[in-house]
Amino acid sequence: MAAKIGVYLCSGCGIGEVLDPAGLLQVAEDDRRVALVRESDFFCGQDAGLIQGDVTDRVVDAVVLAACSPRFYVKVFDYGPGLPVVRVNLREQVAWCHESGSEDTQMLAEDALRMALARAGGSAVPEPFRLENPSRAILVVGGGLAGLTAALEAARAAYRVILVERENSLGGWLRNVYRCAPLRPPYAESAENPFHLLSREVESHPGIVVYRGASIERTAGGPGQFDVTVRQGERLLKERVGSIIVATGAGAYDPAKLTRLKNLAYGTSPNIIVSSKFEELALRGGGRVARPSDGREVRRAAFIQCAGSRDPEHLPYCSAACCVETLKQAQYLLEPDPDCTVFIYYRDLRANGQYEHFYKKVQEEGAVFIQGEVVHVADRGGSLSVEADDLSLGCRSRVEGLDLVVLATGMIPDVAGGGPEQGALKLDYRQGPELPALKYGFPDSHFICFPYETRRTGIYAAGSVREPMDLVTTLEDAAGAALKAIQCVEMTARGQAVHPRALDVSYPEFNMSRCTQCKRCTEECPFGAINEDAGSNPLPQITRCRRCGTCLGACPERIVSFKDYSVALISSMIKAIEVPDGDEEKLRVLVFACENDAYPALDLAGAAGLKYNAWVRIIPLRCLGSLNPVWIADAMSRGIDGVLLMGCRQGEDYQCHFINGSELARTRIMNVSETLDRMGLEAGRIKMVEVEIIDYTKIPAILDGFADELAALGPNPLKGF
Amino acid sequence: MKTLKGAGAAQPLLYDCGFAREIYALEGGAQLKRCMQCGVCAVSCPSRQEMDYTPRRLFSLIRAGRKEEVLDANTIWVCTSCCTCRVRCPRGIDILGLMHELQFYYLRSWFKVHSRASFQQAFWQELRERGRIGEAGVMLRCWLKEGGLTGAVLKSLEMKGTGLRLLRRGRLRLIPPKIEGLTGLNKIIDKALAQQGYAE
Repeated sequence: MAAKIGVYLCSGCGIGEVLDPAGLLQVAEDDRRVALVRESDFFCGQDAGLIQGDVTDRVVDAVVLAACSPRFYVKVFDYGPGLPVVRVNLREQVAWCHESGSEDTQMLAEDALRMALARAGGSAVPEPFRLENPSRAILVVGGGLAGLTAALEAARAAYRVILVERENSLGGWLRNVYRCAPLRPPYAESAENPFHLLSREVESHPGIVVYRGASIERTAGGPGQFDVTVRQGERLLKERVGSIIVATGAGAYDPAKLTRLKNLAYGTSPNIIVSSKFEELALRGGGRVARPSDGREVRRAAFIQCAGSRDPEHLPYCSAACCVETLKQAQYLLEPDPDCTVFIYYRDLRANGQYEHFYKKVQEEGAVFIQGEVVHVADRGGSLSVEADDLSLGCRSRVEGLDLVVLATGMIPDVAGGGPEQGALKLDYRQGPELPALKYGFPDSHFICFPYETRRTGIYAAGSVREPMDLVTTLEDAAGAALKAIQCVEMTARGQAVHPRALDVSYPEFNMSRCTQCKRCTEECPFGAINEDAGSNPLPQITRCRRCGTCLGACPERIVSFKDYSVALISSMIKAIEVPDGDEEKLRVLVFACENDAYPALDLAGAAGLKYNAWVRIIPLRCLGSLNPVWIADAMSRGIDGVLLMGCRQGEDYQCHFINGSELARTRIMNVSETLDRMGLEAGRIKMVEVEIIDYTKIPAILDGFADELAALGPNPLKGF
Repeated sequence: MKTLKGAGAAQPLLYDCGFAREIYALEGGAQLKRCMQCGVCAVSCPSRQEMDYTPRRLFSLIRAGRKEEVLDANTIWVCTSCCTCRVRCPRGIDILGLMHELQFYYLRSWFKVHSRASFQQAFWQELRERGRIGEAGVMLRCWLKEGGLTGAVLKSLEMKGTGLRLLRRGRLRLIPPKIEGLTGLNKIIDKALAQQGYAE
């Protein structure tokens, strides 16, 4: 606990013109924990040395800096891990968005300073959680293109790699592929299949241990100390690794299900085949494709895209790679024989990224691209025909005399597709053995902001197990996941959190003597970081923790706390707010704002000079999921008129860094409304809004609207008690 | 805009790649393979309202092998060579050049007396004989080609009002003078055509 707080009052950037420094000075001097107060208008520039000097001379053991938002000048005001810095956001959230010289603005600034002093006084310096002997080895599950690349990338960075492949040889999907779509610029020429080279390199690399024909029996522990049991035939091997890359890839959509698509006539002729079969024919014929029915060379062929893809009855999504694969397969026919005729039926040709060049190349080689829906495929005595609603012609069109029709099928992730890889890691987690899926069975946690992150810390998904992807993307993905895995082992070894609170050394501590075994923390942790023992006691696995504080919000007994973030700490901040008497007609609104989106949105509103009422008192939370209902009760009994929760968008396209913070908060305030009833308070005093960072223009409407609603309700009857 | 012959009928259009191969063999014709049917040419074309088929549809018809529809359409003759399509084409296809190639292809292999090309031919005849373009001359030649003598007389009567107004304002000369050095100009044109491989 800090006993010598240094308070630094900045008056630059317009703060001095809006606020009276004497009032702030008084607040600081009234707090007996404050050791010294300094004023300047340029702490981030010429006077930066003042704070540093006090810190070096050990005059202060905590810094409260009343200046700009904590999102700015983080490096300038960083005095090492042992010295907490609490920032009072006087610039973006006071001076820039409230009336100058007004009494309410001054009260807001003084409350903000009091809250910061409470926070600084109540925080302890976090000690990193260090494992005794953290493992830096990386386990790669799956020896396909993604797995091989990730293993090589990690091994080249001098990390020990263990690669587990279920088949007896490496290569994965590529083992049954003749040539590959372009892998390097200018992305116009198809490439030789790289898997021979890659697997040879992996097998001969001294830093990589390869288990072929092996599977994982059990994965226990957490980052830095995963204990993995590998089964290879009859043998059981134990390996300890620091992080895991899951690259189990995807499987092709089951062709048998295509028979339900009557228009494609799959199964009625040996010459109507799926794309993987075509690849097999090309591989067997060394590039020459023979017709399955009579072995004759194929002279006229049609490729039909989206067979069973982008179809709610089959795969509702686009598999991203089939179009490019078809382009490559068309080349198998066109390159040896330019007089060959190839028709490609497509809905939208999705040659993602640089593959547009490849598309152009195949067009120039003479493939005929027909946009439209295939109406039916028919076989008349060995000669196939395709009829389609042709979008470019604007009428129905027909192609006859085809030797072969190839149906391009999509991919399904092996992890959840019901394939043999279901629960490939067999996690020994209280929340189940599989990686939770984001959508369509692909395990991911937040694909927009954090690719590779699964909802299990230290386990990174790479390649088409994560989302359908083409080869170039897979190569990038594998390298990215390898870097993530390396980051994870390094940061875990230092006791730091990984993404998204990277470098944070605080961690939750459980006061087990008061635990009632209610299991809320073990159930609600979005990352499965808390296991249970036989007696239903929570067994936190700190290295799995992402420090969101969801457990802290979930615990009804308030036994979970971080050194610098706890129920008591936030409560003390709430208690630091001065609530005027009801007859003064000054509302007080407590805002819990998510640090990741809502808080920056508030900053942006200030930066844009948008004005809102000065009743609001803002407390940033690590995640709205860490909201403990006790705080609402505290605020209400203090006489604060209303509580506003600002969280991230929830639902299918959620934006929460910690998966479901807003949902959890919503459930908790529903539960708390009963308590409010008992206290004789209206449920309308608590409100939750979802705010994205770009919603900053809506901030005044949200805050003023809520203040109006509260004014209509009248003052909190508990004021003054 | 013209609806396609046979569109909506019971018989679907049959793809036949022979005609497309002929067009691909023209100078610059292979560029057409690159067309991805995005339709930027069609929305950019200032003459699209007058066209039977927009350039995009024309190219899709070529690909499907609908020789008759392509060559009977007015598209290639309505093109004003403004070059907007060529500038905007995301595939960098020289659509303007292709239009000219198709015009020559038409004249070589699809020429009929009452043809789509009558205006273009009248224009060139006038140019070659007088060295400049006179509205009266070009139109008369064009009408003669399209409707013979009777047709030309009827058409002239129909346009009488416009013609007289133009005459009154001094905007129309019935017999404009020839330029000096007409033989030289014709030699230049011949040479240019010969270089392009279109000697008449």
